[in-house]
Amino acid sequence: MTKSNIEDCSARQGGAMRSLRPLAGITIFSLVLVGVAPSLLDTYLLNTLIRSFCFALAALTVDILWGYTGILTFGQSAFFGIGAYAAGLVFTQMGFSTSHAWLAFGIAVAAAITVALLVGWLSFYQGATPLYASVISLVLPIVMTQLLFSGGEFTGSSSGLTGYSTPDISLESWFWVAGSALVLVTSVAWMFVQSDAGRVLKGIRDNESRCEYLGINPSLIKISLLVGAAVIASVAGFGYASFSGVVAPELAGFVFGTEMIIWVALGGRGTLIGPVLGTIFIETMSSYLGGSLPFLWKLLVGVGFVLVIIFLPKGLIPLAFKLRRYLPKALIPGKNSTPKLVALDAPRLTSIARTIPAMHLAGVAKNFGSLQVLQGIDIIAYPGELVSLVGPNGAGKTTLMRCMSDGAERTSGTVEINGYDIKRLPAYRCVGYGIGRKFQTANVFESLTVAECLRIARTRIERPSAIWREDTLALPAYALAVIKATELDQKLSEVCHDLSHGEQQALELAMVLALEPQVILLDEPTAGLTKSERTKIGRILIELSEDYGLCCLLVEHDLDFVCEISTKVVVLHQGKIVMQGTVEEVIQSELVQSVYAGSPMHRESDTKVKIGERA
Amino acid sequence: MNESALTLAAISSGYNESIVIRNVSLEIKSGEILALVGKNGMGKTTLLKSIMGFLPKRSGSISIFGKDVTRLSAHQVSRTKIAYAPQERALFHELSIRDNLRLGLSRDSLFDEHFYEIESIFPFLKSRMAQRAGTLSGGEQKMLLVARALMVKPDLILIDEITEGLQPSVIDRVATALTHQRVTHGTAILFVEQNVPFAVSVADRYAVLKLGEIIDVGACSNSDAQENIMRHLSV
Repeated sequence: MTKSNIEDCSARQGGAMRSLRPLAGITIFSLVLVGVAPSLLDTYLLNTLIRSFCFALAALTVDILWGYTGILTFGQSAFFGIGAYAAGLVFTQMGFSTSHAWLAFGIAVAAAITVALLVGWLSFYQGATPLYASVISLVLPIVMTQLLFSGGEFTGSSSGLTGYSTPDISLESWFWVAGSALVLVTSVAWMFVQSDAGRVLKGIRDNESRCEYLGINPSLIKISLLVGAAVIASVAGFGYASFSGVVAPELAGFVFGTEMIIWVALGGRGTLIGPVLGTIFIETMSSYLGGSLPFLWKLLVGVGFVLVIIFLPKGLIPLAFKLRRYLPKALIPGKNSTPKLVALDAPRLTSIARTIPAMHLAGVAKNFGSLQVLQGIDIIAYPGELVSLVGPNGAGKTTLMRCMSDGAERTSGTVEINGYDIKRLPAYRCVGYGIGRKFQTANVFESLTVAECLRIARTRIERPSAIWREDTLALPAYALAVIKATELDQKLSEVCHDLSHGEQQALELAMVLALEPQVILLDEPTAGLTKSERTKIGRILIELSEDYGLCCLLVEHDLDFVCEISTKVVVLHQGKIVMQGTVEEVIQSELVQSVYAGSPMHRESDTKVKIGERA
Repeated sequence: MNESALTLAAISSGYNESIVIRNVSLEIKSGEILALVGKNGMGKTTLLKSIMGFLPKRSGSISIFGKDVTRLSAHQVSRTKIAYAPQERALFHELSIRDNLRLGLSRDSLFDEHFYEIESIFPFLKSRMAQRAGTLSGGEQKMLLVARALMVKPDLILIDEITEGLQPSVIDRVATALTHQRVTHGTAILFVEQNVPFAVSVADRYAVLKLGEIIDVGACSNSDAQENIMRHLSV
């Protein structure tokens, strides 16, 4: 049955292109709709719709940031305001002409990029919490409106700017421009979030630290994304000001920023189309009902918001998707066919490379305040070695692994991986030196499927497409072996959240191996697996070290497993190495037998510990 | 001794649309220890969560010491002298060890009395009462989870993969602690385990779960029990 999954990768892009076909169809249909609408609708409605299209563009960026990447932002209104005021100020001060329009457009884009870079750097520097980013996004529009208020006649203060000249084009043309811009940007955004690169955004939302240990720099991605979103919002604001001929500080305010969150939540966050339709719907209703029932309408929107949050936490659009059986299959989002697994020939190690130590720790120490967790750790291991780290619970094993895979962790000492000093480099840079780390508790992307997790794990090596999803998933042979040994190849399209604990452990191991590391740190790689699965994983690890020259450092409590696979054992006790040597020397030693080993009654094999099989 | 601690009658449950547990019936008598074994993804943890009221039941009924708890939610089930040590380290990371242990008790004055027996099983807890639970190592957190479950002196304990990540000598101690608990307090225990020798040495009976159904139940005293389980797990 696995044979059918693993086929040669021919025509891989053909299939990927096919998956874009329904999107192209919907885009063209929407454009046609935009094309004919002006001849069917009255002037008032057209006016309202053009405004709502501009708002919808801004709301779209909120959805990409919040719905897909998990950055709750109240600040997109500030960027909308930047674009709007760029147009308003240039046209007020200099009058309208085509060249001035381009100037205003340029200012709108440049100012948005500058502010977004600054805000992005403040919000997403290493170690900033998501809450902090939200707070900054709340501060930004407040600062923005204060600046506008204090701008005197230049910015028009609280009454804003009105009466400046605007482009002299017909209402129909405005509708076509705004409508098709919205349709095209939405389509491109949809293509992006559904693509392999777009999955990485969800990966960041689910589990940022896992991303870092896969060699992905989440800060850089989030800052780039914020810059992109800022430019779109700013251009939307530019369009709004050029069309309406009015700008006011409210456009940059946090009330507007919060309104966008409501539109996104009502429409359905993480769906793109939901926020767009939600914005258009609420804005249109507001302009009809807001005039005759000003207070009641706001109350209705508020009550509606609360009801949706309680009863339809995913918004209105996902409700529509529940009726998917009535839709043609191709239109259902996120249900693309499972990719086919392809085995890659991983490079085997030449004998030359074996002379450089794969890991070299010298005097590594770690303190938590006055508490010394690790002291004077010296370990040297060469490619092809399988080193087991044993020691009582709380000895500092996991801490040691953390110090080896993130340069910022240790208090003193040096760590060299493949001859490279990791200095104080962050985790995602250490991955570049060939280190892969599997955490103690399963650390995967909860809301993504098995295949998507593996795809993200390959990001560092294979730059994912920003346009489509590949039909095939190429993994190194040993990563594939882990998938097959644990039967995860039968569950490629299952969401990780639904996997059992042991399956998540196995998936994480496969993800780390998909990185093609030369040094792997495995914190209890077989926890939660059955004996037979454990044996299979053990065999894979031996093959990894012998055939591919990987150097493994693993923490394990199953002494039989340790004996079967290790070439060397290091005993850590109270933060110090108390013993290191061959399996025979260490496991038989009185120290290990008395302090650590326990009775053979609870071990998983009837035979006595098998010594020295690999030593 | 013969009172029924936990009775599952034809239980089916699962997550959203998917049914994970199918028609499971099981009875654990007071003072009995039952090991639930099975491969990964067969529904072991799901069954425990269903008993605890974290998941809605599709059909069937559950009773704990004769009380029907089928429709109760987790916080109500927890009041029926049952304790649960989940697999994921579900501790309050920001709280101290002592506060974690104290939470299940109604009065602080009960602490010393209840802690007395636990102290001998996990001696490290005593000297580090003020340490934040989140700073414990993985294995130590597991021990704290079990200690917390024992703190309330429950009549029925559900434990999910306790030996995972524990050093062998601590596994011995846990085995002793569980059997001791049964002898002194008549506590019924249902535990999920991958470590078959541990399961067989601690439990009275075993039940094998496969694709959400119980396919085999037997006594652990049978000489071929371990072999039997291994066969189920390797297929």
